[in-house]
Order: sequence, then C-alpha cells, then structure tokens
Amino acid sequence: MSEIRAMYSSLVRELFERLPHAGDLAPGPGALVHGEAMALDRGAWVRFDARIEDGRIVDCAFRAWGCPHTLAAAALVAGRMHGQGIDGEAAFDARRLAAELDAPPEKLGRLLVVEDALFGMLARALALQLP
Amino acid sequence: MPDGAPIYLDYAATAPLDPRVADVMCECLRDPALQGNPTSVHAPGRAAAARVDLARAQVARLIGAQPDSIVFTSGATESVNLAILGVARAAGKGSHHVVTARTEHRATLDACRQLEREGQSVSWLKPDSDGSVDPGLVAASLRPDTALVSLMHANNETGAINDIAAIGRLCRERGVAFHVDAAQSAGKLPIDVQQMGVSLLSYCAHKLGGPKGVGALYLKHRPRPALQPLQFGGGHERGLRAGTLATHQIVGFGLACELVRAGLATEPARIRALRERLWTGLQAAAPVARNGASGHGLPGILNVRFPGVEGESLLLALDGRLAASSGSACSSATAEPSYVLRALGLSDLAAQASLRLSLGRETTADEVDRAARLLVACVRRLRAALPAGAIERIA
Repeated sequence: MSEIRAMYSSLVRELFERLPHAGDLAPGPGALVHGEAMALDRGAWVRFDARIEDGRIVDCAFRAWGCPHTLAAAALVAGRMHGQGIDGEAAFDARRLAAELDAPPEKLGRLLVVEDALFGMLARALALQLP
Repeated sequence: MPDGAPIYLDYAATAPLDPRVADVMCECLRDPALQGNPTSVHAPGRAAAARVDLARAQVARLIGAQPDSIVFTSGATESVNLAILGVARAAGKGSHHVVTARTEHRATLDACRQLEREGQSVSWLKPDSDGSVDPGLVAASLRPDTALVSLMHANNETGAINDIAAIGRLCRERGVAFHVDAAQSAGKLPIDVQQMGVSLLSYCAHKLGGPKGVGALYLKHRPRPALQPLQFGGGHERGLRAGTLATHQIVGFGLACELVRAGLATEPARIRALRERLWTGLQAAAPVARNGASGHGLPGILNVRFPGVEGESLLLALDGRLAASSGSACSSATAEPSYVLRALGLSDLAAQASLRLSLGRETTADEVDRAARLLVACVRRLRAALPAGAIERIA
C-alpha cells in the first residue's frame, strides 16, 4: 500500500475511489430539494440534491470539493439517504461520520460542512411537507 | 526506475544517484589504498588527498572557479548557513544589514531569521509575479551598512531565474558581498562565478546525480569575503569548515559535476523540451495554469495549478503513481500552503491546488506522457464531482 493510501481507512479509500452518488440526480418524478454548505477556509464545500416522494427520499446525489474524508463522507451520506424519511431519522452528524470514517480530529470542521449541507437539504424537504 | 515504481518527477527535491557516481564511490570505499585521512601525510592519506584534489577541481570547474576557492560542506544547507551567518558575523560588532527575498529556500530564510535574533537587520524583498527579484529592487534596498545580499539563482519551487550577473554587478559597485544559492541551478544552467560577480556560491551533489551529504561553498579570491566559521576542530578547509573530509562523498560529487558539465550543451534543451511536452499534455485538464516563470525558468521545473482541485485529494487520486511535490507542506489539515506561491500572490487554495513537477537526467518522453495522462485523468475525476462554480471560485 502506498504511503498516501495508508493515511486513510479502507472505507474512505473505497468511497473516494468510486465516489458513488457523485454528480446529478437522474430524471424522475417527485419534488427536488437541495442543501449546500461552503467553508473554503476550512477546506470543504458540499451540496446534496434529493428527490422526494411521499415524504421519503427516493434519490440523493452530492457534489463536493474537499479532502478525501470530505468526499467520502458526502458519498456515504448520499448513499444512506436513499429510502429514508425526511424527518431526520437517518440524519448523520459530523461526529458519527468522523468515527465511521476513522477521520482524524482536525477533519471534524470539514465534516461539519457535510452535516450543514445535509441538514439544509432535510430542512428544505420538511418545508415542502408543510401546508 | 524499477518496474512499478512511481513516475519520478521530483528532481528538484533530489536526483537519483548516477550509477557511474555510485561505482566510483564504491571503489573509494573498497580500495585499501584510499582509506587514509586526506589530511594525513602518509601514503594512504596522500592517495586520498589526491582524489579529493581531483574532485575539488571538478567541482570548481562546474562554476568556472579555481579549486582552492572551494570549501567542502555537508550540503547546500550548510553552505548557505556558512555563507550568511559567516559573512554577517564576520562583519564585526554592531548591527549590519542583509538583503534577501521572501521566496528563498528555508535554509536562507532561517539563517536570516537567526541573524535578526542576533540583532542584525534583514530586508525581505518581494519578487515579481514571475518569481524573480528585480535587480532594481536590490539596488534600492542597499544601505551603507549592508554586509551581504543573498539570493538564489533559480527558485526551487517555480524555477524562476534571477539575473545574477546584474545583481552581482551592482553589489560589486557598492562593495557588498553577494551570496548565491545555486542548489537548483548548478549543473542545469551555465554558471561562471567570475563573470557573474559572485562572492560566495552554495551548491550540492545530490541535485545533480551525486550523493546526499556533500556540498560546496565557493569563496571568491580577491577580494575574499571575510567569513567566520560555524564549527571548529582541526582547521580543515582552510579553517572554514572543521571535520574530516569524506573522501568517497567528495569523489562522487566531483564525478557528478564532471558528468553534468559534459551535458550542459545539450541536456538543458532536452529537458526543457520534455517540460513543454508535459505542459502541452496537461492542457487536456484545462483550466490549468502555470505558477511563476512561464517557459523561461529552470528547464526542469514546471509548477502548475489545477483550479477547483483540492491538493490532498489530488495526492490520494494519484495514489503514489507519481512522485512530485504538492503545493503544501504536507497533506494534513494543518498543512501550510507554499510560502513561495503565496509570495507570488496566489491564494492559499490556489497554492494547495498546485503541484511542482521537476524533470531530470533520466526523465523520458514516455514518462512525461504517462504523467500527463495520469494527472489529467485524476483532475477530471475530481472535477466531475465539484459543485457548480467551484472551478471559478477555487482558482
């Protein structure tokens, strides 16, 4: 294993190599919502897009600029949002992401950007449900 | 490089040891007749001294100097320290003034900061956007108490070349000692210390195919700059650098100088052509920009930035398949963006999206093409995941 690869957990490496759910949503029915957070000074910029049907997320994609942990976290979250309710039951917070990705403490600020983008998207999705 | 090894484009950090140099060093280490101390008067000592003398002549010839103007050191960092601290401290009691630039190598920056702690005054010149220091700026910074001007010949990150002859001329006119850090340029650009008006010049072996751990400081004869040694214990190197001479290292340094000198007529042009081939190949990853010297810099250095690309992610995407230097000190979250690139006006983000690619003796067209394809693929993959507007914002 190269020296640079050894700096990341196997989950980060796997997600970074494939970047699943990166890009745009496929066309389909339902309402579209997005959430975006940017903190260039912290080294992260993340956007989630989701398609909502009957109060559930039927598709989720991300776009991101940042370190491998940021990209891996965004990919992880986007994948797990599929099929989830919009009430935040599956919401991730930055600390849980850091633990799952085995991210060093100095990366927490970047993972908070992922969290902010996710919460922003969920807030918009919830707003859609309001009368 | 062996099969499966990364494409090596980090010659500005160090060059692989030339096998011919390795051979002559091994011969030195093995030959029972060469095991004496070169300062000893017995036969083994004289035999070793003869090899050191030959190497000293080879090392001197590379820069158009006389052999007895060369002081062997452990490398360019020591040479730079000896030059800067040695001249400033030898200038006598009281405060003296030193002129340098913000984009110098850490060896120079840290030695000058040490002088500031000792009560000396230092002017830190800002280079032009291409990375070179305007000789007019140097002229304007000189004061009656200026003891030394210390500038690099070619920048280690951008390859920007300073007009050493012009700066040397004005230093000579003002009676100021002029030290040149030629760690990057020796063996890659023609150097004639006499014509360039240089008082002191630092260079080393490992950047030009020689061994690590040996370097040289050139000291002009007339007028010879006053120099206070940094270490004591035996009077070696005319009392300027104490310590037993490492015969095999010095012999390797000498041969490396001889070999690069023989290639000076053709090698820079070959390497410059490869660098431009690499730059052309990278256009497929547009937008891509060149940092510092554009085309006129040191033949082997190409410093590029990929707007919208995060440095740490680029390094992981490359996954060790390319050996190059990134625009930050390391890949942790606390990595400092390159102070050289920042001094040229680049933002922290732009500096972190930069990569220094440096070519050398063993670089081939095939390696350059593979490196370009690899970089283009990695940059495209990372950009495909960017939020809209990121390329423009992170440039």
